[in-house]
Amino acid sequence: MRASRRLWLAFFLAPATLLFAVFVTYPIFSALAYSLYEWEGIARRGFIGLGNFVRLFQTFPYPRLLGNAFWHNVVVFALTMLIQNVAGLAFALILSRGPRGARVYRVIYFLPVTLSLVIVGFMWALFLNPVFGVVNKGLAAVGLGALARPWLGDPQTALITLTLINAWRWVGFPTLVFLAGINAIPDEYLEAARIDGASEWQATRNVIFPLLAPAFTIIVTLTFIGSFNWFELPYVVQGLSGPPNRATDVLGLLFYRTAFGEVDTGLQDIGVGSAIAVLMFIVMVAVSTFGALYLRRREVEVA
Amino acid sequence: MSRRVVALLTVVLLVMAVLPPAARSQEPVKLTFWSWRTEDKWAYDRMIRLFQSRNPGIRVEFIPFRPTEYNTILSSGLTAGKGPDIIHLRAYGGLETFSAAGHIAPLDFDRVPELRRFSLQTLTGARGRKDGKLYGVPFATQTLVVFYNKKILAQHNLSLPKSWNEFLGVLKSLKDRGVTPLANGAKEGWTLEVLSGVVAPNFYGGSTFFEAVTRGQTTFRDPTYTNAIAKMLDLRPYMATGFMGVDYATMQQLFINEQAAMFIGGSWEIGFFRQQNKNLDFDVFALPAERADQAPWVSSFADGNYGINAKTPHMDAALKFIRFTATTEFGQMFTDLLSQTSAVPGVVIKDPVLKNVQSMNRKATPYIMLVGFRWQAPTGSTLLQSALQAMMAGTMTPAQVGEEVTRGLSAWVESFRR
Amino acid sequence: MSARDRRRPRSPWGPLVQVLLVANAVLVLAPILLMCLSAFKTTREIFQNPFALPAVWSLDNFAKVWVEARFGQYFQNSVIVTAASAAILVAFGAMASYALGRFTFRGNDLLYVYFLSGLLLPIRLAIIPLFILMRNLGLLDSLWSLILIYAASGLPSAVFILTGFFRTLPADLDSAARIDGAGEWAIFTRVMLPLVRPALVIVTIYNIIPIWNDFFFPLVFIKSEHLKTLPLGMTTFFGQYYTDFAALFAGLTLAAVPVVVLYVVLSQHFIRGLTAGAVKG
Repeated sequence: MRASRRLWLAFFLAPATLLFAVFVTYPIFSALAYSLYEWEGIARRGFIGLGNFVRLFQTFPYPRLLGNAFWHNVVVFALTMLIQNVAGLAFALILSRGPRGARVYRVIYFLPVTLSLVIVGFMWALFLNPVFGVVNKGLAAVGLGALARPWLGDPQTALITLTLINAWRWVGFPTLVFLAGINAIPDEYLEAARIDGASEWQATRNVIFPLLAPAFTIIVTLTFIGSFNWFELPYVVQGLSGPPNRATDVLGLLFYRTAFGEVDTGLQDIGVGSAIAVLMFIVMVAVSTFGALYLRRREVEVA
Repeated sequence: MSRRVVALLTVVLLVMAVLPPAARSQEPVKLTFWSWRTEDKWAYDRMIRLFQSRNPGIRVEFIPFRPTEYNTILSSGLTAGKGPDIIHLRAYGGLETFSAAGHIAPLDFDRVPELRRFSLQTLTGARGRKDGKLYGVPFATQTLVVFYNKKILAQHNLSLPKSWNEFLGVLKSLKDRGVTPLANGAKEGWTLEVLSGVVAPNFYGGSTFFEAVTRGQTTFRDPTYTNAIAKMLDLRPYMATGFMGVDYATMQQLFINEQAAMFIGGSWEIGFFRQQNKNLDFDVFALPAERADQAPWVSSFADGNYGINAKTPHMDAALKFIRFTATTEFGQMFTDLLSQTSAVPGVVIKDPVLKNVQSMNRKATPYIMLVGFRWQAPTGSTLLQSALQAMMAGTMTPAQVGEEVTRGLSAWVESFRR
Repeated sequence: MSARDRRRPRSPWGPLVQVLLVANAVLVLAPILLMCLSAFKTTREIFQNPFALPAVWSLDNFAKVWVEARFGQYFQNSVIVTAASAAILVAFGAMASYALGRFTFRGNDLLYVYFLSGLLLPIRLAIIPLFILMRNLGLLDSLWSLILIYAASGLPSAVFILTGFFRTLPADLDSAARIDGAGEWAIFTRVMLPLVRPALVIVTIYNIIPIWNDFFFPLVFIKSEHLKTLPLGMTTFFGQYYTDFAALFAGLTLAAVPVVVLYVVLSQHFIRGLTAGAVKG
């Protein structure tokens, strides 16, 4: 009986463990190791310690490209927090009060989240075409023609425009996560606040916000990971080189170009590419671990 | 749906995904042919049909990709040991990357005897710089020119400009009359490099500067060069609305639909323009020099080559196809269908616009970054394209562009290190 | 949910709130609608009357895209990859979660944490080793490369959600079945799986939408035209038809329709499924 139980356990656990080990754990550890070797194409040569990192930080144009791309990821994160997540929170607060049609709005707001970023990116690229696109034409039609500009071509607006497209696609997500968080707050808490004479805003600030802390942490963490993983949207809308003049270059594009071939030469540098991946990896794992731990602590405190 | 149906469906789908198509013995050899020439697919399909009718045992499939992503896709495909059998390769440094990595098969005169007839100059774009071996059959020479809509110019009683100032005058008259003078945009950096290839040579002195900079006697910091690219700024008021966001497709659409009077681009456009709008009455001119009595320079270059994947399992069939592309018959068909100047010797040009291009080539200078500075990363083209976008957006001066390009290139061009 | 209405007094801002909600709904729906409308027009019409209804409701663009641009093929590949990887990950995930959630054995917690670590690790950054691994396994440029990576990287979420569910089931369920003499496999498939069916739905939806939409792994792994999935095929298609706005809009619409229809029918499941990682319970 004991032996058969052990066999059954192995039978239930082995497939998933094996699959996960081979296609997730092993590649991730390899990725860390690869950055310490010299590469020729995809052939691994000798161990060179931190040589790739030295090149990444010291050989022109890598340091500048890296700094530029990293800064753009930070900007995307900040703007997304400010625009998409604040809007999401606002809509969640509104919807939690059960206005007419709340269910329908929920469904509508979440719709773009299910669309592929490739579709979303191409669609907006067509709409934002400065000559034929509907955005500038629409602005002109309502007398705001002066606002029309090459949204994706102007270095001042390109990254912001991309972030807005991204927010258009994602805003339903924080909305529904916050909404679920608010709905989970027991009614008595708010009643108590109201009996104490708190205004609506005070009740929101003093009761809802603190209890939404876990949702905040999750959204901040996911936004951070999403911003630093950004690839599809800039790739589809702007192309691999992050134009104009690297104004939309982000770490994901830089990593991909370096590892899989530059746009004009097709040259690959797996060593430096791996070094970029390791840096991104450290940043993301640090932040998500921190987020998870923080969340754990908050939960304990609230409970 | 019951669970059993779902399970059954899953199994069927899995089996479909896994099983290779049933092996049939008499199947023809299938060659894949990758390219960045999306606009030319129809013509390649026709030329391939001719080849297939002569070689019934071989099928060729032409698959084009977005030009701006082609090199990356090709590179990762070849490293994966996959990639196509026949490869549309770029020339010069664009070929070097793949030849140096051993991805493409060397083609000597014995394997492709037809190459003996090609001029040495045409073959430079098909040679690896390191080993001097030939790696492809050159397919076309391209020239950078100004396209203009004859009807629009005639409507406004404008004649072809003879000097740079006259050119600006024509653009201004067009704009004053509500016509978009230039279809050009800046969203895709390479179209700006093309623009610089048309505007700058007349001001930097064409081949003299090319020789000097490639021999290391000067750099791109040279005011001769930076003042020349500065002339591009004069064109900004005449480019398409929101030109910073205008991509290549939009540029083409503007000119094809007669919404813009001129298009600064390459001779490879002729066939596409004709095919897209049969009624488009257009011709080309070389951008005039500063003074009317100077003959203008045009930039020209070997466009690229047809090569073979070194790891193709169908080497014989691929060689057969490659030899076909080196015949005068193919070259003639290529020129007739696509209105591009075939690199194959003995081809007769019938297209009047292309004939015009050919006559301009009497004073041609190498397209500077492509021919001279694409051998290693960062390439002169990458650096120039980004910097020109900044210059056109007004965030960089021409001198800064020169500095940026020189500094970037000094990573591998020794004479550029101070 | 209707209890919410009683929750707070109706505010005097009611009309303003409705305006805001409607405005955002329009912002969300208008682009999608415009995309669908444009798909029926000619390119000339799109340029001249971008906001008008199509003069003729023509299906030409769709026919062209489906036949010439191989959309049928892309579609089939996407279906195969999504179905196969979801099937594998739900099956393996459920088996492992059953063992982790219902059995006590040494290393249980460790194994659980091991799987969960996958939730924090950005697998895409391991794309270089994955590329080389797939190449060495001879799986590059095959649908298997995608199926395996999607199945493997979906396991952490499956284990996380399903183990939680298995643990909440009453303890005497399986012991009762065991006393009745049922085999382990029968207990798992006949007793346990039906009880966690809602969780299986969540796991499936949580995973299939990102898999269906993924562009990154096909971009790296797939080279052959006939193996491309829909998102990757879209980029090829955009490269080829870049001057034909009408065809482009038709392609976008075709690619969007299946997911949108499925979403409209199953919206509650979708919302619960896709926010499953962020919302507990």
